[in-house]
Amino acid sequence: MVKAKTIIKNAPKIKPKVAFYGITGCAGCLLSVLFNEDEILDLIELIDLKAFPFIKEVNVEEKYDYVFIEGLVASKEDLEEVKRLRENATFVVSLGACACTGCIPAYRNFTLKENYEHLLYKKVEDLEDVQPTPVDMHIKVDHYIPGCPPNKKEILTFIRSVLRGKIPIPYSSPVCVECRQNGNECLLDVGKPCLGPITAGGCNSVCINGGLECWGCRGPSKDMNLELMIKILREKGFDDKFIQDRMRTFAGLKLPMLDEVIKHTKEKVGAKNE
Amino acid sequence: MVYRIKRDELNIFLEGFARKNQLVAPLKGKLAKFELVKEEQVKDIYLEKNTYFPAKEFFFKKNETVFTFKDNKIQEPKLETPKRIFFGLRRCDLNAVKHQDKVFMEQIKDPYYMAARENSYLLGFHCWEAPSKYCFCGTLNLADYYDLMFYDKKDYFLVEVGSDKGKELIKEFKTLFEDIDITITKEEKKIKGADRLLKDDIKGLYDHPDWQKGVNQCLSCAACTNLCPTCYCFELHDETKTSNIQEGKRVRNWSSCQVLDFSRVAGEHVFRQKREERFKHRIYHQLEYFKERYGVNMCVGCGRCIQGCPTRIDFVQIINEMK
Repeated sequence: MVKAKTIIKNAPKIKPKVAFYGITGCAGCLLSVLFNEDEILDLIELIDLKAFPFIKEVNVEEKYDYVFIEGLVASKEDLEEVKRLRENATFVVSLGACACTGCIPAYRNFTLKENYEHLLYKKVEDLEDVQPTPVDMHIKVDHYIPGCPPNKKEILTFIRSVLRGKIPIPYSSPVCVECRQNGNECLLDVGKPCLGPITAGGCNSVCINGGLECWGCRGPSKDMNLELMIKILREKGFDDKFIQDRMRTFAGLKLPMLDEVIKHTKEKVGAKNE
Repeated sequence: MVYRIKRDELNIFLEGFARKNQLVAPLKGKLAKFELVKEEQVKDIYLEKNTYFPAKEFFFKKNETVFTFKDNKIQEPKLETPKRIFFGLRRCDLNAVKHQDKVFMEQIKDPYYMAARENSYLLGFHCWEAPSKYCFCGTLNLADYYDLMFYDKKDYFLVEVGSDKGKELIKEFKTLFEDIDITITKEEKKIKGADRLLKDDIKGLYDHPDWQKGVNQCLSCAACTNLCPTCYCFELHDETKTSNIQEGKRVRNWSSCQVLDFSRVAGEHVFRQKREERFKHRIYHQLEYFKERYGVNMCVGCGRCIQGCPTRIDFVQIINEMK
């Protein structure tokens, strides 16, 4: 039996025009929106879904109130797309790690071209390559929903909040806060290179709950003690190359000071040993 | 009043509770913590060391629905907690409950806390010696605060009654307990090797440069406050439903003074912006501000904040070394 159209109580009279767009990325973050299976039909009643090319055939290109952008800028086409979206949107949300921090595709910025050149698409003639960079390096972003993938609930929370006239405040405390509340063993204590202490939480420490150390997908926490984190990892026996690589995997472009801090703390250690 | 129970009969006593009511006691696991113990798990109760996690979450919950709302109406939740027997609480844990009782039951009557607390029985377990190298309860004048206190005497346990509730339990299981005519002296109640903290008066030391030793080692990860049996700060959030954005619940979660968001107010002002201020705030609340308000140190000297700290910041040592 097909359920009749759900009647949503207190749905806003003027529904906000919303669009979900993906640029270069795996589209996993757009899937996160859809993984809210139980609530997705209710959601569509709350908003005026103007565009969602990932699942929708007809997409209206006009002015939007809220635009969610998934993926990072990696081609000229992407760049034009984000500029167009910015011009047409009142409020832009970076959805997922690629859009927020650059994520794994942006790791290319930290290696030589000869290391990846052979992997670039050659067949597509008109694909113009740009340095892979998060959305906010090209346009103004009003809100971030980070994570690889983002927490599906966070997406809905954002939409419900704006409908009630509130913009949710991003979770800026480190992953450790939720991790300890979840009763986990500290993975640093067992010698794993966990980046929880310098990574913004809000993920309910999902990786650590499952036994995997934090790789920092939600980007740096607001007041991380990067210097100390590097020191701890060194003491656990990880070398600087490893530390640098690990920290750059998800949020390299948001840690422009990393080289400097590694160098600076090394000098300090050196001075101590003399 | 002091009773005696044979070592092998203790489990019979505890199994009796696990069968009829809820028994909460330490289980070892990866990290020892207080858990609901089933009858067949009574033999696994872990008493060698104190637990890594405190029993706090059973009273002051990590995640508590304060009320639900729908349109303009508020519905308070039904608060019912079954009779619960806590066994294996150390003197520090018991005093931690005492201090949280002060906060949530004396001036402000917090219905959620009270509901969880009302129907619970506190059965302590005495440490003859400090169970962990991080312990420092000796300096903090811990009080007697329990329904029953168990003293391990190898072949048997001495059981000291601390309240009417405790008396009631003994009565219920009177065949297991033998009334003996002794008293446990103050000297016996002292825990050996727990006098690490040399001074608990830190009033004049706020601007001491030595705090920096701790601050430099601090990640502001809030392990200390989350593992603390006395820390009681919380924050409130509204969670709404997608099917009706005017319907949902207000939830109370643990919060921590160690993070920036804790002291952020409207207009994005953060009162304790510096890590140093946040670091010192916790210690001053534990050893100074709480005392000014309630007359006792909030800190009970369990050392969990040091044991659980990723860098093992030992604020006791920092204070001791201050001149």
